[in-house]
Amino acid sequence: MRSPLHRLFAALALTPLLAGCFAAGGDANTATSGRLKVALAVPPVQALSPYSNDATVLGKLSVAEGLTALGKDGAAAPALAKSWTRKDDTTWVFELRQAKFQDGTEFTAESVVNALDHAGAAKSKPRVLSDVTLTVKADDADTVTITTKTADPVLPLRLASPALGILAAKAYAADGTVTPIGTGTGPFKITKLTGKTGATLDRFDDYWGGQAKAAGIDVSWIADGAARTNALRSGEVDIAEWIPTAQAKLLDVNTRHDVPSVRTDSLILNTAAGIFTDESLRASARAAVDGSALVNSVFGGYADAAQGLFGPAVGWASGQRVPVTGRATAATTDEIKAKTQGRTLRLAAYTNRAELPEAASVLQQQLEKAGFTVQQDVREYTQMEADLLAGKYDALLLSRVTLLDTGDAVAYLTSDFMSTGVYNIADLKDPTVDQAIAAAAAEAGTAERQQKIMRAEAEILRTGAVIPLVNEKVVQGVSTRVEGVLLDPRERSLITVDTRLK
Amino acid sequence: MRGLAGRVVAGAALLATVAMLPWLSGTDPAQTVLRARSGDQDPTPEQLAAVRDELGLDNGPFTHLARWLSGDAGTSWVSGEPVLPAVSNAFAVSLTLMAGALVVTIAVAALLCARTTYLGSRQLLRDSRAGTGAAFLAALPKFLLASLLATVFAVWLGWFPSGGWQGPASMVLPAFALGVPSGAVIGALLEQSLPATFDEPWVRTWHACGFTSGRIAWHALRGALAGVLPQFLPSVVGLVGGAVAVEKIFNIPGLGRLALDAALAQDLPPLQTATLGLILLGFAAGLLVQLLRRALLGPALRDGGLMATRPPVLPPRRSARWVAAFCAVTLITLVVAGLLRDPLQVDTASRLLSPSLAHPLGTDALGRDVLARLGHGAVRTTGVAVAVTAVCVVLGLLLALTGKISSGLTEMMSTLPAVLAGLLTTAVTGPSVWGAAAAVCLVGWTPYAAQAAAQFEQERATDHITASVALGASPAHLLRHHLLPAVLPPLLRNALLRLPTTVLVLASLGFLGLGEQPPTPEWGRLLSENQQYLELAPWTTLGPACALVLLSVLAVTGTATRRPARRSAAASGLRSAT
Repeated sequence: MRSPLHRLFAALALTPLLAGCFAAGGDANTATSGRLKVALAVPPVQALSPYSNDATVLGKLSVAEGLTALGKDGAAAPALAKSWTRKDDTTWVFELRQAKFQDGTEFTAESVVNALDHAGAAKSKPRVLSDVTLTVKADDADTVTITTKTADPVLPLRLASPALGILAAKAYAADGTVTPIGTGTGPFKITKLTGKTGATLDRFDDYWGGQAKAAGIDVSWIADGAARTNALRSGEVDIAEWIPTAQAKLLDVNTRHDVPSVRTDSLILNTAAGIFTDESLRASARAAVDGSALVNSVFGGYADAAQGLFGPAVGWASGQRVPVTGRATAATTDEIKAKTQGRTLRLAAYTNRAELPEAASVLQQQLEKAGFTVQQDVREYTQMEADLLAGKYDALLLSRVTLLDTGDAVAYLTSDFMSTGVYNIADLKDPTVDQAIAAAAAEAGTAERQQKIMRAEAEILRTGAVIPLVNEKVVQGVSTRVEGVLLDPRERSLITVDTRLK
Repeated sequence: MRGLAGRVVAGAALLATVAMLPWLSGTDPAQTVLRARSGDQDPTPEQLAAVRDELGLDNGPFTHLARWLSGDAGTSWVSGEPVLPAVSNAFAVSLTLMAGALVVTIAVAALLCARTTYLGSRQLLRDSRAGTGAAFLAALPKFLLASLLATVFAVWLGWFPSGGWQGPASMVLPAFALGVPSGAVIGALLEQSLPATFDEPWVRTWHACGFTSGRIAWHALRGALAGVLPQFLPSVVGLVGGAVAVEKIFNIPGLGRLALDAALAQDLPPLQTATLGLILLGFAAGLLVQLLRRALLGPALRDGGLMATRPPVLPPRRSARWVAAFCAVTLITLVVAGLLRDPLQVDTASRLLSPSLAHPLGTDALGRDVLARLGHGAVRTTGVAVAVTAVCVVLGLLLALTGKISSGLTEMMSTLPAVLAGLLTTAVTGPSVWGAAAAVCLVGWTPYAAQAAAQFEQERATDHITASVALGASPAHLLRHHLLPAVLPPLLRNALLRLPTTVLVLASLGFLGLGEQPPTPEWGRLLSENQQYLELAPWTTLGPACALVLLSVLAVTGTATRRPARRSAAASGLRSAT
């Protein structure tokens, strides 16, 4: 009579023990002293393949390196290449340094040829190679020549992309997959990857730049921002990236570090269909919308009111900003009501970034004050991307990285605002804008290129197709026990050879 | 046999639907897969073509289904990694978590019934409890409970890890967050049926004969448990795939998150395998429940020797009326006061203000008045939730009437996460106001179907039904005069206890574009959008959470304060005759 229930209870009590299915945690045997515990935000999607989103992890944890790196000023700095020269428009020669791969093999010119050829031939090409074709040739053991099909003034910047990290030969499998596990050249070597939950990294003793100060890194991926904050506050991790602005105030002042980010949040207006085909309505939307109201509210102070598309994280931008002229005059409230004729403004925002839905409600009120009737549509990004690209909305609240993986602003302008751009959500087709962007793309000199980029920015802002709202800041949580964390506006680096526990 | 056929058909239908999802949804799977792989990747035609080619998307759904059916779980479209290890790991994690939640559920349910069992077995039961405590616990949102537990016990006190899945200690907090509301529902249902059981004639006889109160309690519990056991399916087993929010907060690599990510990226292979796992789990759990019920009821179920389910016989406690009145008055005051204010007025200068005279319940992150948002959301929230619940109850009853054929469907849908139903709904209707309601109706009927089916079965095995049939009662008469009167009261209580959950599930589908769009105030949304401010500005969630609790307590105690209804003369006559 009693036995069934008793058995049930016994089974229940045993289940946790029997199942034994807890993720393998930090090994109790390895000495944990001197190891950094890091919580990263975006779990690996393709087992850390450099050709996917995961590439940024390889940079953040100093696992893999490219021929070049991005310097503080946004210019290319030496990494695996000691130096380079541009022979002519399409030919570059790179002098390589002496280095070792983490699997013990030597880094040579052949490894560079192998790595870059694989990247070029990848089934889904890394974004950084989408508009360029490279031919790589080994001249001798420590010299390679790279030729591009067409002139590419930003090649050294391109090569700093984490997608073009140089890995040992054994990283590249016959089926096209690439694994950075134990195959990089950086100061830390991945020894184990546990699904999407964690990874173990050890110091790589033969690193060309000297030994890392930390003995290793234990990475856990925590997708939820509040959970990352909790992990840092409870002392389970030493470093937690991307603390949500809503949670930042919960951290001690000494543990939260903000850094301007290259992300700009802006309102993109659909110029091809709906009410914003009318330039004067776009101008009234611009007049109605005030991004600075978002800074201290939605972003909790962790943002700057936008002056243009490029914020403080793009150091050279503010000094060279070109004043915008020739804007259309804004329609008055009555004109807005007459012109929209009761049509609603479909305002889209996505839930993936926690601040955007809140910001949308603020913008709705600002726009309604000006005389628009607004209807929000807030969804998960993948649920709405097709509709966005098909132009089904009048306005989109978009958070966009303005320096894509080339580290060069032209790539962003080309894809988002050229009439042929693949991510041209505003559906902007303006010959002057096209010309300005094309002029910037063709420019080789750094200073001239920056000037032309800013000129293009002014042309784009003139059309009213985009209203920059705020330039985001990133809050990184770093325990006071840790020093030497690199706070990088481009979010390419985090832990370096110098990062260590005090 | 019919049960088996029903299961095979139901399982096959669901798997086929999931297999068609990427083609039904109207969103190009190449695009979602590309986006899942790389956030910055531009969706150029060449890139999309490369993905399509790589995954063989142009071959249509049937080649994929055929390969999958031949036993090849395949590799994930997004990661290219084999599906089987990933899904089985996540499954094991979720199953372990569910076991933890089950322990908590049982403990909470036991605590809630302790008083009734103690007094009943000693023949001391004078009044029936209104279930205030249970209604309170059942109304606690799981994600809020999870955030609260993580903050208090992991961050402040440091007793447990704040997240991860490193050992039994990681299990404690999530198990509580999941188990407490489930246990409250099950405990409340059990508590409701106990007084009637203790009033059965055998209890008096046993008591008079000097049986120990422990034995009496055990026998009474056996009968009551048999009716409640099927609730474990949607309430506990359903957590394997349906605990996404709690998995996120505690960073648990469970099946819920895996299935959700796969579904959003339209990553078919893991989604299919996870769905199959959930279906099989549902069937296995259903079988187990069936076996346990047989064991608890013994041969009486087969031989028609059960006691009739009796209507409540004890007067409700007097305090119940006061509780109900208090809840009603408070709610009405809140709603009326809220309706007089503007729920949409954004004022970024007065953000997250603590309660004051100007803002009695404080303001939210945009400076909107929480009281106003509560008041304006009340009618919409309760209206939709009650309508959805009513549809679910009717659906559940109808399916329960079909008997064994639908039992497979019930078991299967119990384990299906509402988010999956939401995705299927968006695939058909596109984002819409009614989409959320439709999606919740699609899966929300399972607790009622499971409950009604069990009650019907037990009721049919009673002697007075046998007698009625012998006297020539038609099936319609049986249904109208015997079955429904016995089944409806517990069903109603179950529905009321689940009302807050319905509110929250409806809101949880918002990110798919289902339901009312922001900034329309709605209680579920108020809770989810303010969840991140739980610690900084607790009042932003406290207000809506209290409103939900008040609603739940009012619904449950309000219906419990009625005087016990007399059964129809025919039924009581028959019972005394037998």
